[in-house]
Amino acid sequence: MLEITTTPLVIMAILGVAGVSLPLAGMRRPDLRHVYAGVSIAALLISLGYVAYQFAYDMVQPGAVFDADVLADDAFGGIFAIAMILVAIFSVAGSISYMRDQRYPAVYYSLILLSAIGMVLVAYSTDLVMLFVAWELMSIPTYVLAGFMKRNPMSNEAALKYFLFGAMSSAIIIYGISLAYGLTGSTNISEVIVGMAALDHTMMPLAILAAGLFIAGFGFKMGLVPFHMWLPDTYEGAPQPITALLAAATKKAGFAAAIRIIVMGMAALHLDWALALGIIAVMTMTIGNVAAIMQKNLSRMLAYSSIGHAGYILIGLAVAPYTAAGLQGSIYHVFNHAVMKGAAFIAISGIVAALAVTHIEKIKGLGRRMPITAIGMTISLLALAGVPPLNGFWSKLMLFGAALDSGSVVWWGPWLAIAGVLNSALSLAYYGWVMRKMYFEGEGEKRVGEPRGVIAVMVFSIIFMVGLGVYPDPVIQFVEFATPAFVVP
Amino acid sequence: MALIEFVLVSVALLGVGIYGLAVKRNAIRMLFAVEIIINAANLNLVAFSRHVADSGGQSLALFSIAVAAAEVAVGLALVVVAYRMYRDIDIAKFRSLKG
Repeated sequence: MLEITTTPLVIMAILGVAGVSLPLAGMRRPDLRHVYAGVSIAALLISLGYVAYQFAYDMVQPGAVFDADVLADDAFGGIFAIAMILVAIFSVAGSISYMRDQRYPAVYYSLILLSAIGMVLVAYSTDLVMLFVAWELMSIPTYVLAGFMKRNPMSNEAALKYFLFGAMSSAIIIYGISLAYGLTGSTNISEVIVGMAALDHTMMPLAILAAGLFIAGFGFKMGLVPFHMWLPDTYEGAPQPITALLAAATKKAGFAAAIRIIVMGMAALHLDWALALGIIAVMTMTIGNVAAIMQKNLSRMLAYSSIGHAGYILIGLAVAPYTAAGLQGSIYHVFNHAVMKGAAFIAISGIVAALAVTHIEKIKGLGRRMPITAIGMTISLLALAGVPPLNGFWSKLMLFGAALDSGSVVWWGPWLAIAGVLNSALSLAYYGWVMRKMYFEGEGEKRVGEPRGVIAVMVFSIIFMVGLGVYPDPVIQFVEFATPAFVVP
Repeated sequence: MALIEFVLVSVALLGVGIYGLAVKRNAIRMLFAVEIIINAANLNLVAFSRHVADSGGQSLALFSIAVAAAEVAVGLALVVVAYRMYRDIDIAKFRSLKG
């Protein structure tokens, strides 16, 4: 039985009350847009504080708990919840200036809060019914948010493409759930895994179909090749604070669900899926990074780089059966990537709000025009490339180290590390190009006013990325505490 | 009827849905295809639920129907806005985003 003080329930209550009351208030007073943003940030900060409080007083169980309830208050869900709520705060802070001319601000912020509830519940859910409903609660508001600028054809096109692929992915997931339920007679994830392990051989094709459908369904959200087609269009056309939410938070929910279901289920099925995941990882990172080089639009370039990062994270899932550092590296990189990518997209939203440009040629001299945004962008790009001593370096080191470790069991393990290092070097090339445009080109630009919300996000993320890069031990211990034990039943 | 007959119909519906998503470029037809896959899953859930004598599957089917309705409402709204802008709902013709 779930306690009423369980973290996901409390977060659902806080964000739900705020999320439902905002549109009601917004109908009467549509002019109070800063108040609505403030209320959303306050609700998100209280939720973040509650997660931290639960951790601080040791009320959270380590690893991932699989029990008979639909939600588990475990550290695995907690680390994802922290990353997602942080990104939601970034998104609200970036929206204040970006969406200043749009109507219905209360509805907009309330949708961000509702989507945040969905993400948090996905990370905590231990039952397929809960997971599916939470997945939809996360997705449906983001379809609306991506098309929120409804007079803007790009925003609408982005939303429509995102919706069609998103609806396809949820349809595929519910079909996978129906097969898993049919094979094992239960929707509880732990019972499904136990049931899959004891499965009759004649039922194997259906089990493989179910696992494949899960990979495809979650893969759409994670942006894995070959399910990545919608991603650059959506990230470019959607309002940029919402892109931050999609790239840094809903994508992470896909990984949370994948770690709970696919990785554990693979072990149960006694299947050798690891090589398949490894091949998808290498394809994803290579296609993402190669396509990113050719982009002329800043947010489209970061969208492809985000595909590349999904590939790095997938390395950890692929080698998870062979080394404990695999899942740790994945979770660590998920946590870091949320902040790095969130900060980068919020920096773009600041650039769009102040200068109305996203083309890389047009951000010349940004270092003089918007110094704080430019430095935040630079540090997040360096962290994404994995330059020491920033936080991205440590998580990539852990991922590639895990791939090397697995070399003692599987011959292809070290090749994943080599592909990852080459791709990181490649990504530094196009990140370097952006930095060159910002600092070494253009002359005589005047400084323009930077949105205050964006400055706050930049300052926080610079402290986060540099601080946890110089002194990574607390986060590494936290990740070790949160990583589920990978046991082959 | 035996369980296998339900499963065969459901897998056939899944095939129809995936065909529709892969081949059609009309937004409404793609929405139909998604609905067909969701209903194939619902058929599976109800059939399995009766087979294993557990009501969990039927309640999940109810959830899935409700959620699919919410999803379609949002999707149709997006399609209506797109039609007002382009006078067309062929997603292959939406080309303001590419690169």
